[in-house]
Amino acid sequence: MKRLISLTCSALVAMLSLVAAMEPAQAHGERAQMPQLRMRSVHWFDINVSTVNMQINDLIKVTGSFMPSNYWPEHVQSIEKTAFLNIGVPGPSFVRLDSRVNGVPMIRSTAFKKGELYNFEITLKARKTGRYHVHPVINVEGTGPIIGPGLWVEVGGDEAAFENSATTLLGKTINLESYGLANAAFWSGLWFVIGLAWFAYWLLKCPIVVPRFKRVNELGPAEADKIITPNDRRAGLVFLVLALSVVAGSYMYTQEKWPITTPLQTGKIEVPPIDVDLPLQVRLQDARYRIPGRSFRMELEVTNSGDSPVMVGEFAAGNLRFINSDVLKVTPKDEDDLVATDALRVEGGPIAPGETRTIVVYADDALWETQRMTTMIASPDALVAGMLFFFDANGERFPVEVGGMMIPEFV
Amino acid sequence: MSQELAASAVHSTAEQHRVHVQVDLLAIPLVVLLFAAVFSFQFALLVGDWDYWIDWRDRRWWPLVTPLALTILPAVFGYFLWERLRLPLGATLTIIALTAAAWISRYLNFHLFANFPMNMVWPSAYIGLGLIVDCILLLTGSFFWTGLFGGFAFGVLLYPMNWPLLAPFQVPVEMHGTMLTVSDLMGFEYIRTAIPEYVRIIEQSTLRTFGEAVTPLTAVFAGFLNIMNFWFWTWIGYLGSKALWLRKIV
Repeated sequence: MKRLISLTCSALVAMLSLVAAMEPAQAHGERAQMPQLRMRSVHWFDINVSTVNMQINDLIKVTGSFMPSNYWPEHVQSIEKTAFLNIGVPGPSFVRLDSRVNGVPMIRSTAFKKGELYNFEITLKARKTGRYHVHPVINVEGTGPIIGPGLWVEVGGDEAAFENSATTLLGKTINLESYGLANAAFWSGLWFVIGLAWFAYWLLKCPIVVPRFKRVNELGPAEADKIITPNDRRAGLVFLVLALSVVAGSYMYTQEKWPITTPLQTGKIEVPPIDVDLPLQVRLQDARYRIPGRSFRMELEVTNSGDSPVMVGEFAAGNLRFINSDVLKVTPKDEDDLVATDALRVEGGPIAPGETRTIVVYADDALWETQRMTTMIASPDALVAGMLFFFDANGERFPVEVGGMMIPEFV
Repeated sequence: MSQELAASAVHSTAEQHRVHVQVDLLAIPLVVLLFAAVFSFQFALLVGDWDYWIDWRDRRWWPLVTPLALTILPAVFGYFLWERLRLPLGATLTIIALTAAAWISRYLNFHLFANFPMNMVWPSAYIGLGLIVDCILLLTGSFFWTGLFGGFAFGVLLYPMNWPLLAPFQVPVEMHGTMLTVSDLMGFEYIRTAIPEYVRIIEQSTLRTFGEAVTPLTAVFAGFLNIMNFWFWTWIGYLGSKALWLRKIV
């Protein structure tokens, strides 16, 4: 017995220590998603938040752009069927007041075309205090959530002061935090009272288990109904009539009180993509990932049909950004911003107007490893994709998707 | 010595009564807890989101799926309690246990832990359905008639029974040029990262012929379907109450 008690105490202490040592989850499992899905589903860029410090009831805008990949995996359901722009925060720590893609409200589901460019803007209102990693997300039917880069946002203030109201088409302003709850609780409570009264009627005959079991056995199936008294039958009739009356009465009362209602609304909405005229054609000739060096090498054939020389300033794949510091100066927005500020090396120099040239781009950084992208070598089709950002002499940016077969190098 | 051991431990009627009361005091709360646990699990698996969120309770799927899943335990345990104890309590008691557990779970898990407002996640009202079934069983003493009338009532009355709770949430509102119900608006505003709009299985069906009569048609269809559903689960209750498996072990 002593041994049992000491074992129980030890287990309890171990469990309590574990609970005490636990930290709240602060991410959304971005790294858990398969690299080929991250690289070839949605390319997110220019993700920004309008503020990183806010108070309850303050508004924040999450903005950015995305392009569904032309190299979307064949074995995953396409974004061109059904998708929904969402936001990755822990539950309703914010409420979403508006959500738009290319200016179109995204209250309903939609579909996005591969290879097209979309700008989004999501307006949130702070509801719960805390520090949140805010991500844009696109849920794709049959595929799941495709999570964009996250940024940290701190919310302070008094949660009790949170307000969220709406005005119905009947002109009534309602508090969405509490609207209809008292009514639902009343009707639910009424049914509890009636149901418990029925239960109490039988409990009053206590003891009911053993005596009734014995009596039913004694009487046998044919005679067992004798145990039911006329009073029981009268009570049954009263409760039956009562239940049916409450259903009918409450329904008629409700029809009178809320004569105008409408069914739940659903459906899909179309979003026209942004027209982009790119003066560039880029073809991936060769892609290799060297595992020991965490080095991603791409050989690209670039044709510049514009009127200004262009250079590669950034390569982005699977929410990781590799920057060519000769072209672009980038400062990480926070400690978890997945940007390697000087990790892109380009051999081949600027591509002059009218020129077609082969350049070699190296994206070398430990981010490949730390963000679990190295398992791209386990892809079922060995395809990779990413966004290249070219810049002309005036600083104008041209985003181009590249993709193709990738060969891993193990030595 | 052996005669003393074989003799009853109860020596008077008063003592016997006390023992029976003690059995009730022990068994009834345990049974109610069992009902709550089993029913919550089963209902979460088969109905789940349709009962969790107000923007899932539509007029086509929710009134069809719910009675079919809701009938299972009331029919099984209802048979057992009637057949063994002649107590018409199985349906009411299981549904009371389910509803109480649901209110506790919604408050603790959905509201306090996950931060959803309670008015978005309140459980539906089903207790009256159980009561109607139990009363019909008591008055007819027949599982055939109980299935026919009670099973039918389960399907038909689920929507009108919940309409007083639900109607305020189906008042129309406008948001950025789109008409929504209050339920849809809350579903949009209170963020559920893992439940995008398209996941909701609502309003999808082919039964469009009768215009505005969607809900009554669904209800009557659910009622008819539920008659057979009730009989089937009563039969399962019958098999269970024979406890053949137990006899094989013992």
